[in-house]
Amino acid sequence: MAEMQNSNPTILNAADLPTRLRPTTTRKSEYGGIFTSALPLAPVDFESPPSSDSEDDNLLEEPIDEQEIYDLISSISDPEHPISLGELAVVSLPDIMIKPTLPDVPDSPLQTVTVLITPTITHCSLATVIGLGVRVRLEQSLPSRFRMDVRIKEGTHSTGDEVNKQLADKERVAAALENGALMGVIAKMMETCH
Amino acid sequence: MSPNVTITHLSDLTPPSQERTWLTAPHPTLPIVATCSSDKTIRVYSLTNFTLLSTITGGHKRSVRTAAWKPHMSGESVLATGSFDATVGIWRRWDNYGREDGAGMGMTNDNNQTPTDTSDADSADREEDEEEWRFAVLLDGHDSEVKSVSWSASGMLLATCSRDKSIWIWEDLDDGDNNFETVAVMQEHSGDVKCVSWHPSEECLASGSYDDTIRLWREDLDDWGQVACIKGHGGTVWFLDWEGDDAEKWNGPISDSNSESELSALQAQWRSQRALSGPRLISCSDDRTVRVWRRQPKESQQMGAFSSATTGIPSIIRPTGTDEAWEEDAVLPHAHELPVYAVAWSKRTGLVASTGADGRIAIYEERFVTPEKEEKQDDADAMDTASSDVLRTEWVLVGIQDGAHGIYEINHVAWAKRADRGSGGEEEVLVSTADDGSVKVWTVTR
Repeated sequence: MAEMQNSNPTILNAADLPTRLRPTTTRKSEYGGIFTSALPLAPVDFESPPSSDSEDDNLLEEPIDEQEIYDLISSISDPEHPISLGELAVVSLPDIMIKPTLPDVPDSPLQTVTVLITPTITHCSLATVIGLGVRVRLEQSLPSRFRMDVRIKEGTHSTGDEVNKQLADKERVAAALENGALMGVIAKMMETCH
Repeated sequence: MSPNVTITHLSDLTPPSQERTWLTAPHPTLPIVATCSSDKTIRVYSLTNFTLLSTITGGHKRSVRTAAWKPHMSGESVLATGSFDATVGIWRRWDNYGREDGAGMGMTNDNNQTPTDTSDADSADREEDEEEWRFAVLLDGHDSEVKSVSWSASGMLLATCSRDKSIWIWEDLDDGDNNFETVAVMQEHSGDVKCVSWHPSEECLASGSYDDTIRLWREDLDDWGQVACIKGHGGTVWFLDWEGDDAEKWNGPISDSNSESELSALQAQWRSQRALSGPRLISCSDDRTVRVWRRQPKESQQMGAFSSATTGIPSIIRPTGTDEAWEEDAVLPHAHELPVYAVAWSKRTGLVASTGADGRIAIYEERFVTPEKEEKQDDADAMDTASSDVLRTEWVLVGIQDGAHGIYEINHVAWAKRADRGSGGEEEVLVSTADDGSVKVWTVTR
């Protein structure tokens, strides 16, 4: 990336972003100093709670909601800024929807996750890479019963339809996953994911 | 809709691949299939006992996306495979599966031996060298992922297509040295070419693309060129199949309310009409639809061309008038909520099967619309497939299997001749191939 496409993006305050992960991180960074004296001397390890295994199991059984999807993808880094997609408002909670894939089959476990992406600028050629990153992150994190529908939000990109067609193409996504160079970029974007 | 076929799970092919499987190609004569996997291998399974016979490895560096058996081979099987590594592999093997493992590989179904009866370490060792899959040649030419391969009816020509937007036609020189000659490279598509499929008897190729079109290609005075471009789908055309060409096997649409004499009259009329336009083409798409296309009969088309110069091309340039007019014959009843990845038109029964990302298998049947029935339906039914004032057909959704591979997407479906012990001759099975690596065999009974 020789030249940045958007060298001065609008950035949201990370603390203002909706998350269910916040209690852990904010307590540590913001209140840690104030309450240090009041806390028991034994170190509290927020990074790896002792019951993490059983917690993970419980999470799988709980229904997955929009907030959980947001937490999975908002921490992905922009490919050209060391800033998260959440902070750049490329992804936002109201632009995530979960719906039954087959409404006419009431007992079908299939659900479709729709994520609308808002590129930072309307001609950003990295929109495809960002979309691919979001799709790959979801495919790797969610159970197979979810169908991904990752799209550019209407009217926010000059070649949105073209990008959407690529992102929806299963064969192209599968081939991209076997492309070492592209996956290197995606892996870098996901280094910041929890 | 009142479903009136029963889709019954017969068996899985075991052991399955641990990764996504894309397509399963039934052998034209032997009861074996080849399954293409993302694990870079091709698995050859028996349809007699549903177990793995061979795994072809070492040829492709990325996912194997597609495979096709060369027709009219005897004593030896030839398989073409296409991969995301941009190459096409040609593999050969002497036909001896039946003899070695007693699984009854001939097309007769009277072999009552169980698969494990005669296979032993000795025979396995013996077949190691001379009787396994031999890598014959790698066809190099495409710039990116190969999506589909297809052999012409004669087996002389192999068509391959790729994300590089091109279609290549190769001639198998059959010189004993595995030489293939590039006959043509067609680059008219403006997007990935997702599928290629040869006409069941003529040297006419159909292709479907990311550019949402279906194109037809023929050779005209030594040059391969586009003879039709069908626009109709509102999304990527994922798969194509042709109607059977063999009138002996299938008498056309069924009719449930006609007397026998009426029926045979209708069939005779319908068959003569079909003979004029030739086999129809069926396509499935990202737009969730399955559509049938029919070529305008040559006679009327040529008359039209002479009278009104509808092609707009001066006759001096194309004296033979190879351009063909294709029209939409039918949109099949809505059955899929997500992209439709595969469609298969049975050459034996005329039934159509489709499948896709919604994990559903749908079965359709074409029926004559009788005059009385038409009055009742009046203008309400858009499924009617009129191409004649006299004779109409409609497609009916006759069976649905939801969650055929559980929660997984299904990438391919194909009809194959049934060959297991419980079968009685001319029955067919449906073979479906899914994202979790599973391949399932189904019976479809009326």
